[in-house]
Amino acid sequence: MKISTQETDRLAQVVAIASGRDPKRLRLSAAEGYLLSRIDGRTPWRLLREIGGIPAQDVDACLDRWLAEGVVEVVGGAPRPAAVVSAPKASPPIPCPIDPKLLDPNLDIDCDVQRRILEFELSLSRPYHELLGVPVGADAKVVKRAYFKLSKEFHPDRYFRRQIGPYNQRLERIFKKVLEAHEILSDPELCQVVTQTEALVAEAVDPIVSPVVPSAAPTSKPAAAEAQSTPSTHTPQPEAKPLSKLDRLRQRMPFKIDHAAMAARRTRALEIFRAAESSLEAGRIHEAEAGIRIAITFDPTRAEFKEALGALRIRAAGDRATKLLATPSDRMSEAELRDALQLIEDVLPYRPHDPELNARAAQVCLQLEMYDDAVEFAQTLLEGAPEIAGHHSLLGRIERAKGDLKAAKKAFGDALELDPDDLEARRAIASMRIAAHDAAQGGRR
Amino acid sequence: MSRVIGIDLGTTNSCVAVIENGQPTVIPNAGGYKTTPSMFGISQDGKRLVGHLAKRQAITNARNTIYASKRLIGRRFDDPEVQKSIDLCPFEIVRGPNEDPRIKIGGKSFTCPEIAGIVLREMKRVAEEYLSETVQEAVITVPAYFNDAQRQCTKDAGKIAGLEVLRIINEPTAAALAYGMSRVGDEKIAVYDLGGGTFDISILEMSDGVIEVLATSGNTFLGGEDLDRRIVQHLVDWFQENSGLDLRGDTMALQRLKDAAEKAKCDLSLRDSVEINLPFIASDAEGPRHLNYELSRESLETLVGDIIEGTLKSVEQCCVDAGVQVGEIDQVVLVGGQTRMPLVQKRVSEFFGKRPHKGVNPDEVVALGAAVQAAMLLDNNNDMLLLDVTPLSLGIGTFGGHFARLIERNTTVPVSKGHVFTTTRDDQSAVKIRVLQGESDLAAENDLLGEFVLSGIRPAPKGEPEIEVSFDIDANGIVSVSARDLSTGKEQSITVSSTGKLSETEIDQIIQEHDLYEVQLKG
Repeated sequence: MKISTQETDRLAQVVAIASGRDPKRLRLSAAEGYLLSRIDGRTPWRLLREIGGIPAQDVDACLDRWLAEGVVEVVGGAPRPAAVVSAPKASPPIPCPIDPKLLDPNLDIDCDVQRRILEFELSLSRPYHELLGVPVGADAKVVKRAYFKLSKEFHPDRYFRRQIGPYNQRLERIFKKVLEAHEILSDPELCQVVTQTEALVAEAVDPIVSPVVPSAAPTSKPAAAEAQSTPSTHTPQPEAKPLSKLDRLRQRMPFKIDHAAMAARRTRALEIFRAAESSLEAGRIHEAEAGIRIAITFDPTRAEFKEALGALRIRAAGDRATKLLATPSDRMSEAELRDALQLIEDVLPYRPHDPELNARAAQVCLQLEMYDDAVEFAQTLLEGAPEIAGHHSLLGRIERAKGDLKAAKKAFGDALELDPDDLEARRAIASMRIAAHDAAQGGRR
Repeated sequence: MSRVIGIDLGTTNSCVAVIENGQPTVIPNAGGYKTTPSMFGISQDGKRLVGHLAKRQAITNARNTIYASKRLIGRRFDDPEVQKSIDLCPFEIVRGPNEDPRIKIGGKSFTCPEIAGIVLREMKRVAEEYLSETVQEAVITVPAYFNDAQRQCTKDAGKIAGLEVLRIINEPTAAALAYGMSRVGDEKIAVYDLGGGTFDISILEMSDGVIEVLATSGNTFLGGEDLDRRIVQHLVDWFQENSGLDLRGDTMALQRLKDAAEKAKCDLSLRDSVEINLPFIASDAEGPRHLNYELSRESLETLVGDIIEGTLKSVEQCCVDAGVQVGEIDQVVLVGGQTRMPLVQKRVSEFFGKRPHKGVNPDEVVALGAAVQAAMLLDNNNDMLLLDVTPLSLGIGTFGGHFARLIERNTTVPVSKGHVFTTTRDDQSAVKIRVLQGESDLAAENDLLGEFVLSGIRPAPKGEPEIEVSFDIDANGIVSVSARDLSTGKEQSITVSSTGKLSETEIDQIIQEHDLYEVQLKG
């Protein structure tokens, strides 16, 4: 994988639709159309490659063709300074100021070596090939030699059992990074992804190279990185500056971020979501829900998808609830009652204060002899609508079945107060009086 | 400063070496042998016997003589390999309180690290007699395919023997160190190690004093003893066919057969045919019976051919893991007594298309390499470096019983790797991180090294929280795992200590007890 200087220059170019051209008259595939829609005269070529799940080489080919056809033209993008991507000299000198206080002559390690370790540690954030001191695109043998050489210098085993204080951790940190560099540079695929990422990061943190930051670009990541960076990024101070989450992730596992794949997933998610929306319009709710779920799996970051799913769930719950309420519960078998209760519990979170649902739930629980639950539902019902006598009667019926006659009497009394004609409450109070009387008589006898 | 020894703790034999005048040298024991049997027995009169003394009385005292305990170390009692040993060994293997296998001889049960410790103590004594000074530190070798628990138990064994274990290294790696010590220039080498109880293959690259392990693979339960077992099986079947007597239940006869089989196997490396003659092997109503059988090299090769072919499968896998073509291998080093077998040499030469390296003694090279590693670690002027790898993949168990690898096997240590995970339920407030080691894609089939819970995750829809799990292995092979909620910064971590191993107090108890014996024996 070798990026020539020429190509690097090209990646920094910014293109725009050529004046006087009407792109609507072009015959384009969907992907090409999408790419064209991203060309805004501010987004550099490099970022255009990162969008929309279109392979980088297709983006290049397409842009080349449009350039040749005069559809687009180059409007900006200074050639990149050679230092950013071009090959460094082997074992580059590291002009980093190190804190002399960190040097400790009492340790079992030379001060010169200490200095070298400190300097190397400060420069760990360099691109991998610079870290190993190999040119970009160096072949596996060269990479391995460089890795062995640095291993011999920085592997913690070199100082096994020696009193080197904090240097042990420093060595370990350095070796791990060197190991990572070797691992990536000797794998052509990883190497390609990482070089791209590195270039992106370099571009984003380098205000001279990239004067315009694409705000409309779908990948907002470089922008985020820039927001975090300060102009003094060139003197790395790993301790001083808190890294953004993204930077940290990049440092730890740069090869895990595959921009192209992520962009492709996002596009796919959107397509699925659109399909789900049309299913919804056609009234196929189940299909729509499944579609939206898949879309969320593909792209969990879109709030829009989640809102849609929430709305859909409430709607579906409403439909089910309406269906359920159509059948009176006293004609249900026990199994049916249990199913109904399950259904109500599924639906309730979306309509927690629906009086009909709560009344039905209380009724079903009463029939199933789950009195505590029934009381709870009835109380929720009363909280929502304390002015309806029937609700108090319902509570009274439950309390009576439960055996709490005092509470039952109070509930029926409340119902009568609201509606003196409530037959059920009247009868209930009367029969409870008779029962109490009988019990009193029985007790006397 | 006292000197550091290298010990090859083998399944059947052990060997100890030290660096003398810059050269690694094997230390012979008092009997003049360069290797010592890894055997421990308690005689009829209660004496504790190690090494050659234990081996000599093994036939008459098979029930109270332990051999090949390395096959059990660090395994759980229910492990199929342990169950296999129970069927085959004349001594009693019982279930220990930590679900570990323990061996009961002379009325006392011993843990596997304890037995290994007794053998190591003997090796330490051999070295001390030879050097006329006390030895306190050692590098010990284990098969490349030993997992974390098996390595920990070997470390414990070192402690029991009164040794500080500087490093546990892989046998093939040690062999490569011994081989590569005097080499300059770039080479890729394959180490084919077929010992008494284990088979290992490693591919290494060396350049300019740095030795890097590219890949390693093998089988902890395949070795020379399996060949012996095949021969014993064959003899038992033959004897039953010809005399109608079944020897399977007769421990003394089996022990004699085992010895005879081993001897015949070794002799067949030099000769075309041997006679196995075991008078009075059994008796019935008609009087004593004798076993007399002629075994040819050819029939031995038919008996064990598939075992050797099996090892070549592992070799192929190892080449793939290392990303190396078979033709790129510059040198093949044979390790382990079993590689003296002409069939092994023939098949290995055919496989690699080149004759194996002849310059090393397959029985001694591992111990020599261990001594080299000890010197490499401690000698400041040493210009060699070993880049060792983790033998098994490490990762965590994920939703649906899957295993997510974070550190692939054969990754150079020290190393750190991380990956971001997320929740599987809405408003999930805690995640359980189960640290696993193994090669299966199913979590349940791998070894559990430890687990912990990261709680206090901010309520969010599933898939939204980001939890970064990082694995870290330091230069000494200690694994630590941390999990961090990226939005709250909350963190939990553990340092993995393997399950089922002995506690510090248990080790101290064992050491005290053996010190008592030491006094008894000398007095």
